[in-house]
Amino acid sequence: MIRIESLSKSFQQQLVLDAVSMHIPAGQIFGLLGPNGAGKTTLIRIINQMLPANDGQIYLNGQALQKKHLSEIGYLPEERGLYKNMRVGEQLLFFAQLRGFSRPDALLKVRYWLDRFDIRDWEHKRLAALSKGMAQKIQFIAALVHDPSILILDEPLSGFDPVNVDLIMNEMKALKAQGKTIILSTHNMKSVDEICDRAALLHQGKKIAEDSVWNLRDAHDKGQIIVRFKGHMLGFANALWTDFELLEQHEISEGRFECVLGIRGQQRVNDLMRALQDKVEVERIEKRLPSMQEVFIDSISGKEGNHA
Amino acid sequence: MRNTWIIAKRELQERLRQRGFWAMLLLGPLLVLLLLGLFLKAADQGKTDINVLIVDPGQLLEHRVLSQQEKSVHYYFIDDYLEINEFRDAKAYQQFDVMLELNEKVLNNKKVFVFFRDQASLDTRMQLKFQVERRMEELLAAQFTKLSVEAFRSIKQGFIFDFRDVYDPKNEAKDAQLWAGFAIGSFVFLFIGIFGMGILRATVREKSNRIVEVLISAVEPQQLMRGKLVGIGLAALLQFSAWIFLLVCGFWIFRSFVFPDLLDPSHWQGMQALHINPLSDLVFEDLPYGWILLHFVPFFLATYFFYGALFSVIGARSTAESDGQQFVIPLLLLLTFSVASGIVYILYPASTFSELLRYLPFSSAMIAMIDLCKGLTLSQYANLLLSFVVLMASSFVLLRLAARSYRKHILTF
Repeated sequence: MIRIESLSKSFQQQLVLDAVSMHIPAGQIFGLLGPNGAGKTTLIRIINQMLPANDGQIYLNGQALQKKHLSEIGYLPEERGLYKNMRVGEQLLFFAQLRGFSRPDALLKVRYWLDRFDIRDWEHKRLAALSKGMAQKIQFIAALVHDPSILILDEPLSGFDPVNVDLIMNEMKALKAQGKTIILSTHNMKSVDEICDRAALLHQGKKIAEDSVWNLRDAHDKGQIIVRFKGHMLGFANALWTDFELLEQHEISEGRFECVLGIRGQQRVNDLMRALQDKVEVERIEKRLPSMQEVFIDSISGKEGNHA
Repeated sequence: MRNTWIIAKRELQERLRQRGFWAMLLLGPLLVLLLLGLFLKAADQGKTDINVLIVDPGQLLEHRVLSQQEKSVHYYFIDDYLEINEFRDAKAYQQFDVMLELNEKVLNNKKVFVFFRDQASLDTRMQLKFQVERRMEELLAAQFTKLSVEAFRSIKQGFIFDFRDVYDPKNEAKDAQLWAGFAIGSFVFLFIGIFGMGILRATVREKSNRIVEVLISAVEPQQLMRGKLVGIGLAALLQFSAWIFLLVCGFWIFRSFVFPDLLDPSHWQGMQALHINPLSDLVFEDLPYGWILLHFVPFFLATYFFYGALFSVIGARSTAESDGQQFVIPLLLLLTFSVASGIVYILYPASTFSELLRYLPFSSAMIAMIDLCKGLTLSQYANLLLSFVVLMASSFVLLRLAARSYRKHILTF
């Protein structure tokens, strides 16, 4: 578990992180979100001990973060970089050895990960001979080849095709299942919706939200319901009466509609189900929670609106 | 320390994989040998028609050298002592190119001094030596033995012909040794310049392709800098050692096959040909290679770390290789100053500035190489050791300062 307490950092009198506190539970995928320049990379670099904080403290499992903890952290930076003239195997070996592995142990790990990604035959290829996507995979392996308990992944999906995005997402889920803690910094909100347990939102160096992904989405709930039904649109509209507002409607096939409704007053989904019971044949009904993309935009625009 | 070594190993391996490294390793010594061969050849050029004044107060040679003497060497005799200054300055002796001194001790100490105004060709000097020596053998055989000249020749102890410049009769200037030291010192700074640029390029490249971000998340910036310095330094040392090995092999080939006259008496009818060509003397006899090498390695490494730290800092502060090339100009000027300091030291050895150059970490390696080639008294050697201590301390302090700057700037893109 990582606990960040009142962390501040400034560069030449410009405050980049302003008393940021966070709680990253062990064994979860934690989304670190925010627009460009929010301070995410600085925070990541401080966790990685690449930069010192001006103020505040980071605790890892109750202990103040120290150099000895570096071997427990794997890091995939946003800007990828590997030695182009080195072979894949020796490059991964080099990074594993830097993180404290002996050469024989490192070799075993390298081969395990190359096999896991089904790229063992790349072991003796030079990086320069690989495509961008292939090199990205090597970079991903380099971050976790030393078997860290904490992984910090900065935009891990950028540069991958959809097949490989799926591969990396599954790999993150598998790592979480093994008990690893993953800090995921990304602009890909779909991936946050899909795999993050918890997220924090940074804006202009301040934390503006932190909670579980579901709670964050609940907090931005606009009271909308999606209904799919078979029947007459007129009967459906009459059934809504004054308790629900019809916001959108689509005829998806002959006599089959999908609508978005707004809730008025204290009404709930159960009340809607009762109202529709004898009027149309309901095929699907669910509360429409905002996506993390909407949460992100709402939060940022709300803050900017406040500033204005 | 472990991480420093892992990084150093990677840097070394990277350089060993470069074709340029091996090309320089092989072509460098070949080029040096080629130039040396040309210089040796050039040193054999000189006057071929000379007048030799034999100062023979004891009339040992009885006004005769060999009957079959070559016409290119003309002998004249004087039966009295002649001071070297008089020979050098008096108008009456200006027609003579060489003064050969046969004093009364010559039969005992077997040492013949030959003072020349201008350097004669190797061939001419060989003739002179051969003819005078043969004549003396005749006399010795007749006066002190009952042996034939041939039998005496086979058992006799050879004469030592000491060729000296009439303007430096005590051989005090030792110019050649000084310039040899300058050449070795220049090689030190040449290697530091080349491999220093390697440090700069490697640092900038790691910054520009962002590997540095992954590296710094695993190791301390200071470890990264030290590893790079050690790895590239090992590559430099390896290349320098290979140069020394190849040059030694080349010298051996020169002596054995290319310039056999410099060594093999059989090529000159049994004469000892040593101490004839001053450049060959210098290359093959005069320089204390073991002594130089013993001091060269620590001086080279300390100077390399001193300059390497500066190259690292420039690399860390640069955002692109072109930036680095701009920033490196003052450093290259400093390296040029270090080389130029050798010239100043040779020309004005007694000046206060020369004394200062000995202790400046920028130039102390150059001065040390010159001093080592020239030869040192005990007090001069103590000064050399002191200059090394100053150099070490400066390198240590600079490495620490550079590490702080490196840490601060390596992640600014």
